[in-house]
Amino acid sequence: MTTKSFWLAVVLCTCIFTTALAQEKNISGTITDQSGLPLPGVSVVISGTSNGTQTDFEGNYSITGNVGQVLRFSYIGQTTVQRTIGSSTTINVQMEDDAEALQEVVVQGYRTSTKEKSSIASVTISSETITSRPNANFAQTLSGQVAGLNITTSSGQPGGNTNINLRGVGSVNGNTEPLFIIDGAPVDEDNFRSLNSNDIASISVLKDAGATAIYGNRGANGVVIIKTRTGSFNQDTKISYTAQLSFNSLQNNDYDLMNAQEQLTLERDFGNGRGVGLTDAEIAASPDFDWVDFFFDTGLTQSHTLNITSGGENVNVFTSLGYFDQEGILQSSGLKRFNIRNNISGKSANDRFKYTSNFSINYSESDEPNNIGGSGINRNYVLGAYQSVPYITPDDYTNGEALLSPLSFANTPLFLLDRLLTYTREEAELKIIGSFNASYNLTDDIKASITLSGDFTDEHLLSAEGPTSFNALLFGGGANPTSGVQNQFVTRTFNYNQVLSLNYLKTIGKHTIDFGLYSEYFKAHYRFFGFTENGLNPKTFYPGDGDGFVSDNGDNDFFVDVASADILNAGLFSYFGQLDYDFDTRLGITGTIRRDASSRFSSSNRWGTFWSVAGRWNISNESFMEDSVFDVLKLRGSYGTTGNQNIVDATGQFAPFAAADLYLDLFTTGTGYAGLNSIIPAQLGNPILKWEEIEQANIGLDFEIFNRRLRGSIDGYIKTTKDLFQDTPLSAINGQTELEANVGSLENKGIDLTLNYNLLQGGADGINISIGLNGNYNKQENLEIPTEDGTIVEVGSLTGRQVGGPLNEYFVYRYSRVNPENGNLLFLTTDGEETEDPNVDTDRVWLGKNIYPDYQGGFTFDLDYKGFFLSTQFNYVIGVDRYDFDLSGFQDPTSIGQFRHSSDILRAWTPDNTVTDIASLTASNLSLIGNSDRYLTSADYLRLRFVQVGYSIPPKVLENTWFTNIRLFANAENLVTFSEWRGFDAETVLSTGSREYPSPRIYSFGLEFGF
Amino acid sequence: MKTYNKLFILVVLIVFSGCNDAIDIDQPGRLPTEEAFKNLADLQDGLTGLYGLYDTTSEIQFNAVFTDEVSIGFDSGGQGIGNGEYGFVLNPNSAAANTIWASNYAVINFANRIIEASEIITVETGEQEDVNHILGQAYALRAYSHFQIQSYFTTDYTDDTALGGILLDFIPEIDVDTDQSRPRSTNGAVFGLITADLDLAENLLAIESDPIYVSQDFVTALRARMAAYRSQYAQADTYAAELLAKYPIADRSEYEAMYLDEDNTEIIFKLERTLSDNYNGQGSTGSGFAGGWAGANFAFIDATITGSPYFEMGRSVFNLINSEDIRFDVNIDGTSIISDDYQNAADYRNEDILVISKYPGSEGQPLMNDLKVFRSSEMLFIRAEAAASTGNINGNTNSTAAYIKQLRDARFGEDQSLPSYASQTEAFGAILDERRIELVFEGHRYKDLKRLGALGNRGISRDPLDCEVNGACSLEVSDYRFTNPIPIIELTPNTVIDEQQNPGY
Repeated sequence: MTTKSFWLAVVLCTCIFTTALAQEKNISGTITDQSGLPLPGVSVVISGTSNGTQTDFEGNYSITGNVGQVLRFSYIGQTTVQRTIGSSTTINVQMEDDAEALQEVVVQGYRTSTKEKSSIASVTISSETITSRPNANFAQTLSGQVAGLNITTSSGQPGGNTNINLRGVGSVNGNTEPLFIIDGAPVDEDNFRSLNSNDIASISVLKDAGATAIYGNRGANGVVIIKTRTGSFNQDTKISYTAQLSFNSLQNNDYDLMNAQEQLTLERDFGNGRGVGLTDAEIAASPDFDWVDFFFDTGLTQSHTLNITSGGENVNVFTSLGYFDQEGILQSSGLKRFNIRNNISGKSANDRFKYTSNFSINYSESDEPNNIGGSGINRNYVLGAYQSVPYITPDDYTNGEALLSPLSFANTPLFLLDRLLTYTREEAELKIIGSFNASYNLTDDIKASITLSGDFTDEHLLSAEGPTSFNALLFGGGANPTSGVQNQFVTRTFNYNQVLSLNYLKTIGKHTIDFGLYSEYFKAHYRFFGFTENGLNPKTFYPGDGDGFVSDNGDNDFFVDVASADILNAGLFSYFGQLDYDFDTRLGITGTIRRDASSRFSSSNRWGTFWSVAGRWNISNESFMEDSVFDVLKLRGSYGTTGNQNIVDATGQFAPFAAADLYLDLFTTGTGYAGLNSIIPAQLGNPILKWEEIEQANIGLDFEIFNRRLRGSIDGYIKTTKDLFQDTPLSAINGQTELEANVGSLENKGIDLTLNYNLLQGGADGINISIGLNGNYNKQENLEIPTEDGTIVEVGSLTGRQVGGPLNEYFVYRYSRVNPENGNLLFLTTDGEETEDPNVDTDRVWLGKNIYPDYQGGFTFDLDYKGFFLSTQFNYVIGVDRYDFDLSGFQDPTSIGQFRHSSDILRAWTPDNTVTDIASLTASNLSLIGNSDRYLTSADYLRLRFVQVGYSIPPKVLENTWFTNIRLFANAENLVTFSEWRGFDAETVLSTGSREYPSPRIYSFGLEFGF
Repeated sequence: MKTYNKLFILVVLIVFSGCNDAIDIDQPGRLPTEEAFKNLADLQDGLTGLYGLYDTTSEIQFNAVFTDEVSIGFDSGGQGIGNGEYGFVLNPNSAAANTIWASNYAVINFANRIIEASEIITVETGEQEDVNHILGQAYALRAYSHFQIQSYFTTDYTDDTALGGILLDFIPEIDVDTDQSRPRSTNGAVFGLITADLDLAENLLAIESDPIYVSQDFVTALRARMAAYRSQYAQADTYAAELLAKYPIADRSEYEAMYLDEDNTEIIFKLERTLSDNYNGQGSTGSGFAGGWAGANFAFIDATITGSPYFEMGRSVFNLINSEDIRFDVNIDGTSIISDDYQNAADYRNEDILVISKYPGSEGQPLMNDLKVFRSSEMLFIRAEAAASTGNINGNTNSTAAYIKQLRDARFGEDQSLPSYASQTEAFGAILDERRIELVFEGHRYKDLKRLGALGNRGISRDPLDCEVNGACSLEVSDYRFTNPIPIIELTPNTVIDEQQNPGY
C-alpha cells in the first residue's frame, strides 16, 4: 500500500464509522509494562479527539468512546499502542519497551540518532557532571571531561573567558574555538558568564567532519551543542532547589619570596633602595607586610537555583530561576548574575505538530579590573600583589596627592591601593537568548521544521578614574587639577539565526533512509556608542553620574570630550542536504553537502562548498559476533571539509563583526595634523580573500565489553587547514606591512581515547566504583609558510613558526650556565659553543616547544555506597612550555630597591660562590636574558581538578515528608597541583605572560532538595 | 497531489528565502578609494592626513638611547636595558630601524597617492594655485622621507654608487601571488629623485615661510642638510647662508621660549603637536617604536624629578655644558639633583639625577612639544662644517671658529672667546661637540657621528658610571652599527633585498 492510498483508506474508514454508528460505551482496562507490572500515568486518548485520561497507580483506566474509534496508549520509553474499540468493554494492554527511545540519544547537528546508528565522533556529557560546580563559566567545568577538548583558563576573573580548542589549534589568525549552539541558537563562545550552568541538561561535542560538515560555515573547529532542561508531558509539578556556598582562595606558589627583613638586607648589600645604610637593628624593626594577602583574599560565592517542571497532556514547562554572586580572589573583581528561564514544549494531540520554545533572560554585573598582565605599576593589581616590597605597608598611604612626590617605584603598592579606592570598572550585561522550534509531519515520512533563534546582548561598560586619584593627578599635572576621566560605552548586538528544513524518513524492511534539505540564514547587528568625559569635579563626582562633569572652556582643550559610535552588520546564508542510510543497524553511511556564503568576502569569493562522508559497521550486530564478549563493537570512519570565515580571532560580542570587509581598499576621515580634519588611507584590501578550509579524516572504534562494564572509544584523526588566514608580510613601500591573506597550511593529527570501567557493581545497597580515563595526543605541524625560507618571526617576539614545527614555537638562543670565571651569563651559539654575547640574529634556534599540550585529558574515580558518594576528577597536560617572567622579575637584580625578590637571588655568583645558577648581581650581560630560554619552564601538570563528597538521603526516609529528594555535598576545585611550575597557577594559554590573574582554589558546600 | 504542491512550495522557500540581505552587506561609513578624492577640499584633507603620518619621535629616541645622550634614570623600570637599545644592540629586529623604515615609506606611499589624486580631482577655476601648493608640499614631504631613509640605511652618504633606500615615485600594486621584490637603488638614484622632487616643489609651492607647514624655506633647508651630508659643502654653504639671512640665531629668551613652543625665531620647520591631534599620548615608552609625546621618550609623567624620568641626561654630555649657557637651563630641569662629586657618590643612581627638560610640555600638557626639524643653528653648523672642509678653521669671519663663537655668544648672552683649532680634525671635533650640546635630544647625534666622527675623531662615549650597568661605554664610528640594518619587516616580504643587507648584520 502506498502512502497516499493508506491515508485515503484511514480517512475513508473514519468517515464511515463516525457517520454510520454513534453508539457510546464505557471502556476500561489495565495497562502493564513488559514485565507485567502495572504502569501508572499512561496516556489514553481517543484518536482525533481531545478526549483522554491517564492510568491510575494500579495501571487502571476508564474512558467513554464509540465503537470503531481508536484508543491510543502512550508512555515515555514505551512503544505507542493503538486499539480499535470493538464489542468488548475491556481493553488490557501490555506495552513494550521502545528500543529506540531507551537508547542513548546522539545529537548529530540538525537531527538526533541512536548511539548504534550514529556514524560520527562525538561525546555527550550529562548534566550531573556540570551542575553543582562552582564555576561562573560552565566551559571551565568541561575541562578534562572530553577527549580532545582542551580547555584552558588563563584568568581567575569570575566568569572570565576560557580558551577552548578541539583537537589542536586549527588556525593561525582566525578564530580557533568551536561553535556553541544552545537549543538551536548559535551563541558567542567567549561569553558564558551570564548563563546558569544548572539549566544545562546535556552538552554534546561533535568532533569529526562527519558531524561538523553540516555546520559548514562555522563548524571548522568543532561544534558544541548544549541542550537546556525541559519538562515531560503528563508529569506532576516538581520543584527542586539547589544552594551552594563557596570559598575561593589563591593557589600556592613556590617562589620563596623575601620578607621585609630579607629584602632590606638585600638592598643594603646591593646598595640600592631603602635598605642602604640601615643598621641590623633598624632592619629588624621594619614592618613586614605581605601584599599578596592584601591584593588577593578569600572570596565568597553563593549560588541558588530553583527549578519547577510540570507537564500536561500536550504541553510541558521547565522554569528556572538562578542567582549567583561570586567575589573574585583579586580585589575589586566579582560577578553577580540573575537568570530566569522558561522552556515550553507542546504538541498537537495527534503528535503531528510539535514545538518548543526556550527563552532565558540573564543579567549580570561584573567588576573587572583592567590592565591585568600589564607592566603598569600604577594599573595592575596583580603586579602590586607579586612585586611590592614588603617593608611598605598600607599604613604608609594617606592619599593620591601625597604619592606624587617623591615619585618612587617602591611605592607601587600604594599607587595601586590608591587605584583600588579611586577607580571603578563595571560591566553590566543583559543577555537574552530565545529559540523557537516547530515541526509538522506533512505525512508519516515527511516532516517540515523551522528553528528561529536570537541572541541579544546589551553591555554597559563604566570606567572612571576619580579626580583625586593618584593617576589623575599624576597625568593631569598642576595645569589640570580636575583631570579625572569617565568612560561609558554601550554595546548592543543581536544575532538572528533561522533554519528551515524538510526531512524524509522511511524504513522499508531492513533499509532506513533519512534525507534532509535545509537552508540557514544568519544576520547579526552591532551597535556601539559611548563617550569619554575628560574632567571631573571632585566635589560632585560619583562613578557613572554626570554631575561632576567639567565642561570645555576657551583656555585649553583639556575638557574636550570624545564621543564614539559604530555600526556593523554581518551575515551568512547557506543551504545544504544530508542523506543517511542504514542497513539493519549493521551498516550505515551519511553524506552531507553544504553551500555557504559569507558577507566577509567579495562577491566573487563569497561561496564555499563543504561536504563530508561518514560510514559505520556495527560489527557486534553481525551474526558471527553473537557469542563474543562484545556488547557493542562499532567501526566508524569519516572524511570531509568545513569552512572558517572568522578571519581574525576577535572575541566576545564583537566577534561576528571583526574583519567585516578586508577585501576592500579604504580611506577614512579623521583627525590629522594639528588637529585638523583629514583623509588618510585606512586599509589595503585583499580582493581574493576567501574561506579557510579544514579537511579532516577520522577513524574510530566504539566498544562495550563484559556486559557493558568496560566501555570506550578510540579515534584517530588528521586535520589539515588549507588557505590559512595569515598576516602575509608586505613591503613597507605599500604603506602597510601586513596583508591578511589565505596562504599556507597547517596540520593537526592525533588520537582521542575514552575508557570507562565499572570496577565494582554492588547495586543499590552495595559499593559501586567506576573509573574513567580520557586523553588526547595531538601533534601539530606547519606545512607551508608564506616566506621564502619557510619561517616567520615577528619583531621582538620569542616565538615564531617554521615549516615542520608547531604553532608559536619558541625561537630563542639557549641559556647554558653562569660563567664561574666572572658571574656573567653564558649562552649557546647555534653550534653549541658557549658565549657571553649571543647574536640575536644567528644564534637563535627552534626549540620544538610551545604552549599547547602534546598530551592532555583527565581521569575520574567515582564511588557510591548507600547514598554516600565520592567523585574525583584529575586533569593532566604534558608538553606545555611557558615563560616564567614572574620568576625572572623576582630574580632581577636591576630592580633591587624597587620590587620584591625571591630568596634565589641570595645564591648569586660572587668570587666565593662561583658555581651557581644565579648570575652575578652586576653581570654585564643581564639584558640578554630576555631573548634566551633561561626562564622557559615546563608547565606540565597533574591537578586534582575536582573532588566531591556527598550524601543523598534514602527515599525511604523521605517517604512521609514533603521532600522527594535531599542531597548534601562538598566540593573542591584545583585542590592539589603537581607541577614543576613555581607560580600561582600552571594553567594558561599565554606563552610569555606574567603578572596574570591566577585561577582560584575553591571549596564549596551545597544542598539540593526537591518536592 | 496537494501534498506535493505544499512540498514544492516549501522547498522553494527553503532554498531561496531571503538570502541576499545576509551576504550583500555594505558597512556604513566606509570611504572607498575611488570616492576619497573628488575636489580641492578633499586633496587638502589628504595633505593634512599626510602631515599626520609624519613623526620623528622614533628618531629622537634612537639617537638619544643608542648613542651617548642619555643614561639610565633612577626611576627606570628596565627601559633601554631590557631591549638592549642602551647596550648597542642593533639588528633587523630593532624597533627604531623598523619604525623609521616603515613610517617613512608610509609617508612616501601616501604622498604618491596625493600626487596621483591631484590629476583626477575636479579643479574649479582659480583653484590651480592651491592644488599646486598642495602638490609642492607632497613632493617636498616625499623628498624628506626619502632623505630620512638615506640618513639611516645607507653605508656612506658621500658615495653615489653605494646602496640607498628603495626608490618609490609610484603607487605599488599589491598582488599576494606575485613576487613583491623591489631592490634598493643607488644613492645617486635616490638623491637624484630627492633633488628632482625639491626642484618641483620649489616651483609649485606658493608660500615662502611657515614654521609648521612645508614652504620654500623647508626646501632650501633640506637641500642644505642633504648637501652637507653628501659633503657638497659649496652648495650647502650657499643654502645655509640663504636661510641664516632670514632666520637669525635666537637670543637666550627666544631660545627658552622656543622649547615651550612659544617662539619661532629660529624655526625653519617644526612638526606641530597639539592636544587634539593623534599624537597626544604617552606612546611606546622605552622603545624605538616611540610615537606620542616626544618627552615621553625620557620620562613617564613630566620633565621634573617627580615625573618619573626613566632616562636622564648622560653624564658625558652634561659635563660639556657650562651652567651659564642657556642650553643648561633648557636641557636640565631645575629639580635635578646634581652631585658636585658624582664620581665618588655612594649611590650614584640616586645622588646624581639629571632630569631632561628639552620637552617640558606645552598647552598645559607635560611632555608634549612640537618636534623641531630644521633650525637656523643647524644652518650655522653647516656653514662651520663647510668652512672646516676648506680649511678655514680659524679667524674672525667665515671660519669654523667664528661660527661656533657666533652660536655661543647667543647662547651665553655675552661675548665668548674665539676658539682656536690646531687642526682640521680638531675643528670637526669641536663642531661635533657643539652640535652635541645644541642639538641634543633632537635626533642628530647618530648621523653626526656617522658622517663626521672619523673627521673629528669622535665616537660614542659614555661616562664610565653611566655604563657600569651593562659595560656598553663606547663605540667607534667605524663600527657596522653606524648604518642601520634593513629591518625584518622588509626582509621578510622583499626577498631581493635580503642579499642587499647592510654589512655586519
